[in-house]
Amino acid sequence: MTFRGKAGIYAIAVLLRLVLFFAFPGLPDLLTGRVEISTPVTSFKRLEEGLFLYNHNVWPYDGGVYHQAPLLLPLFSLLPDSKSWPIFTPLLYILIDLLSADALVKIAASGEAGKSRLFTSPRRGKGSTGLVIAAAFLFNPLTIASCVGRTTSVFTNCAILYAIAKAVQGFSFHAMVALSFASYLSMYPVLLLPPLVLLAYDRRASQKTSVLKFSAVNVLVVAGCLSVLLGMSYALTGNSWEFLARTYGIQLTLTDLTPTVGLWWYFFIEMFDSFRSFFLALFWLHLASYVGGLSIRLRTQPLAALAVLLGIFSIFKPYPSISDASLFLGLFSLYTHLLPLMRYTYVASATLMYASFLGPAFYHLWIYAGSGNANFFYAITLVWSLGQSLLVSDLTFAVLRDEWEVERPEMVGKEAKQI
Amino acid sequence: MAPPPSGPTQEDTASSAAASESPAPAAPAIKAPPPETPTAIRRRSYIVLSFWLLVVFLGLPFWWKTTTIYRADLPLDRMLEWADGKACRPAIPIQIAVHADSLQEEEANHLVRLAQHAIDDLNDFSGHHLRLQLAPRQDRPRESEQNPNSALSIHLKPGDATTAALDPYRAALDITYPLNSVPPLHSASSMLTTYIATELRSTFAEEQSIVSYLLSSSPTSKPAGLSPAVVEALEKRATRALRYAPTYHLTFSLFTDGPAPTTWDIDTAINEYMKPLLDVLGPIHNFTIDTQVQLYATPGVQSQTLTKDDLASFINAAEWPLSPSIGGAPTINFLTFIGNQTIGFPDSEGQTSQSWMIPQWGTVYLLSQPDTNSHVTKDALRQPMLTFGGHLLTLLGTPQSGSLPLRLSSLSRIRSADLLLRASDALGSLARLSRSLPSIAIPRNVADGVAKSIRHLEEACAGLGSSEALYHARIAEEEAERAFFEKSMVGQLYFPDEHKIAVYLPLLGPVTVPLVMGAIKEIKRLLQARKQRAQEAKDKKSQ
Repeated sequence: MTFRGKAGIYAIAVLLRLVLFFAFPGLPDLLTGRVEISTPVTSFKRLEEGLFLYNHNVWPYDGGVYHQAPLLLPLFSLLPDSKSWPIFTPLLYILIDLLSADALVKIAASGEAGKSRLFTSPRRGKGSTGLVIAAAFLFNPLTIASCVGRTTSVFTNCAILYAIAKAVQGFSFHAMVALSFASYLSMYPVLLLPPLVLLAYDRRASQKTSVLKFSAVNVLVVAGCLSVLLGMSYALTGNSWEFLARTYGIQLTLTDLTPTVGLWWYFFIEMFDSFRSFFLALFWLHLASYVGGLSIRLRTQPLAALAVLLGIFSIFKPYPSISDASLFLGLFSLYTHLLPLMRYTYVASATLMYASFLGPAFYHLWIYAGSGNANFFYAITLVWSLGQSLLVSDLTFAVLRDEWEVERPEMVGKEAKQI
Repeated sequence: MAPPPSGPTQEDTASSAAASESPAPAAPAIKAPPPETPTAIRRRSYIVLSFWLLVVFLGLPFWWKTTTIYRADLPLDRMLEWADGKACRPAIPIQIAVHADSLQEEEANHLVRLAQHAIDDLNDFSGHHLRLQLAPRQDRPRESEQNPNSALSIHLKPGDATTAALDPYRAALDITYPLNSVPPLHSASSMLTTYIATELRSTFAEEQSIVSYLLSSSPTSKPAGLSPAVVEALEKRATRALRYAPTYHLTFSLFTDGPAPTTWDIDTAINEYMKPLLDVLGPIHNFTIDTQVQLYATPGVQSQTLTKDDLASFINAAEWPLSPSIGGAPTINFLTFIGNQTIGFPDSEGQTSQSWMIPQWGTVYLLSQPDTNSHVTKDALRQPMLTFGGHLLTLLGTPQSGSLPLRLSSLSRIRSADLLLRASDALGSLARLSRSLPSIAIPRNVADGVAKSIRHLEEACAGLGSSEALYHARIAEEEAERAFFEKSMVGQLYFPDEHKIAVYLPLLGPVTVPLVMGAIKEIKRLLQARKQRAQEAKDKKSQ
């Protein structure tokens, strides 16, 4: 990977985004309004509303619209006014995208995807180079759309990728701080803690300390970081803990039923009121239940566990958007050497393409044309989730098959039936 | 509803894990798969354990916490007692003060005692009884003599003959008697006492029959021998009267079939003719008022002379902007229609009337006026307003006989008895509902409402006949109704237990199958390993 090549790709990515931002002045606002990109907890429009209230010394959550982390407000109010200086917000978002891509390049450069401490894949040489992975991430239409749509999940994604990058470099402290930031922004990344700790442990220069001691230290780091962040938010929002209910509470209770590409909104519109809290708990438990099993099963490849978990989260989390899918696809591209082992790549990619073209059309039919109803859009989000889950399960299968072939070399290339 | 991908993904992770370790069926039996490594076995146990730990330590408590139904304790027996009339025997004592300043103290006492006996002999209905009481002698003028708790005062005055007259402005009965009719101190009865008793009984006859009708329609007591004619009259009254509400909304409308008149002196007319009536009704009801004028209003019936059948369809409900129901209060409509139509009945040829009352709705008054007049004066509105006033009393359920103060006081007693029964009824329904549906949630505020309702019912029952009874009964009824119609309970009325299968199964079914199968497999393996170890130990021993 040459510096020139990397710089070239970054430059093209920046240029492309700048063109989209400024050659099509209506585009950012159009994308910001799309439900596929902006969810109630990541929407830029809602952020602007919160920012306006914050700058006018009103409690930002008073409007009932803003549900994002309080610390985003001072960050954005530091930027010059977006009306008179419209360049700075896009620049910030482009910078974040580049940082994410850079983190991916670092992860790829470590070779962790092919060779971890406990496992070496026979196919590790056939993977893509960091350059290709960065390009695949930066020129992924989903990534571009999230960047131009300025959703704040871009920050979360960057923090997660950065945490993984630091973990594979062996800097567990940095990784934990980055993960704390991601969790602070979106809450769900805290579930990534177990595999991330394992990853950081595996990538350390020496394994003198025991896993348990190492995990305890890292959990304490995350807890400390989170309490500092929450404490700052507490001070920032007028010395009250109310913001917890308005940010994480919204995600936990799904109070805002705005449609998203996920499965929750429709389910909870239809749910009987008396069972609502039970199914909320159930959905969250379902989301959390994968962490333990995957961390144990993929103990030898914590990075694969992280990738699969992120895929699962982008399907089953309460307010998913295409930006979560772009994060999963970014990590997925680290495992291109396993593509020959996957069985449904064609079906999965076709399903995803089908859903991403028909999704906006069906949403239009429902909301604007009025010739369809909510079921149209929900059906297409089901297809989208189906495509993603195919991809996730296929990746899991490929990773496990890869391990199995090392264990049983005589079975390489033979048909294995899943039972 | 269940997201279908949830099943496949989980099964994939679990079963592909199994696939990597267990023998591939593609390889035929010739080539036996190598045995699983102990690490793989241990790993699988951990995975199964991790899922089950989550289920047992988080899933089950959450399930318990979020689906247990909160049932606040309701005093069910007490509520049913109220509904069955066991908690309270509604009895309305009516205090009657007797002023006999012209008689000697002892004579007066004797007279009152005898009259009370006579009344008790006449009375056959225990729910409603009259109590005579000798008022303390007062030298001061009459104004201050009204005791707030006495429904009626009798003024005995010596005169030429035995006469009785109801005071039209106060709740008072003036009786004159010839001097010789005063019973001597030791006599057992006299003409005068019998006369007083009959007179009082006829004064309160209507109220008594209404109350006994009310009580008989509830399961509490047997119908007290009312004649069918009386029952019919009472039913008519009941169908005419609106349901009790603390506030009524009065709408005064002027409808014309042409372009005139456009203005009316409704403000002064209401102030002059309606206000006094509304003021005396004040303790029982509140009123809000609005007025409207509508031009070119076509009635539902166009014929010149309206027959009895026409009256029902006269109101053009589709086009006339009536019953706006501002706020929660029920609306009573008073409609003045300017036109040249008249009401004619075939049986009373030539005779016409101008107004009719629509039960539970209001009154229509046909006012004829020259077309040229663009203004309706206060004087022209006098007759309609007086009619409206009379009809308002009927619509509120006021008894027909007696002087106005008497009618109003009996209205308040009837209403409190009525509300008392309604509240008891609502409590009984709630109690039966909560008995018959053991799975219905009962929120805390329902229990609070029931407690409050019962407390006020007790006070109302104790003070029945007094002015506070209405207040307490009103609160009791409001609370009981609110408790019964609690929103979160109404939704659950139509949620049978079988539905829970449909709620749980679609999502939990697919998730549970791999979980349970995994657990069973693990337990089997553990048992087998134990057996094997025992066998090995035995073998070792035998060696």
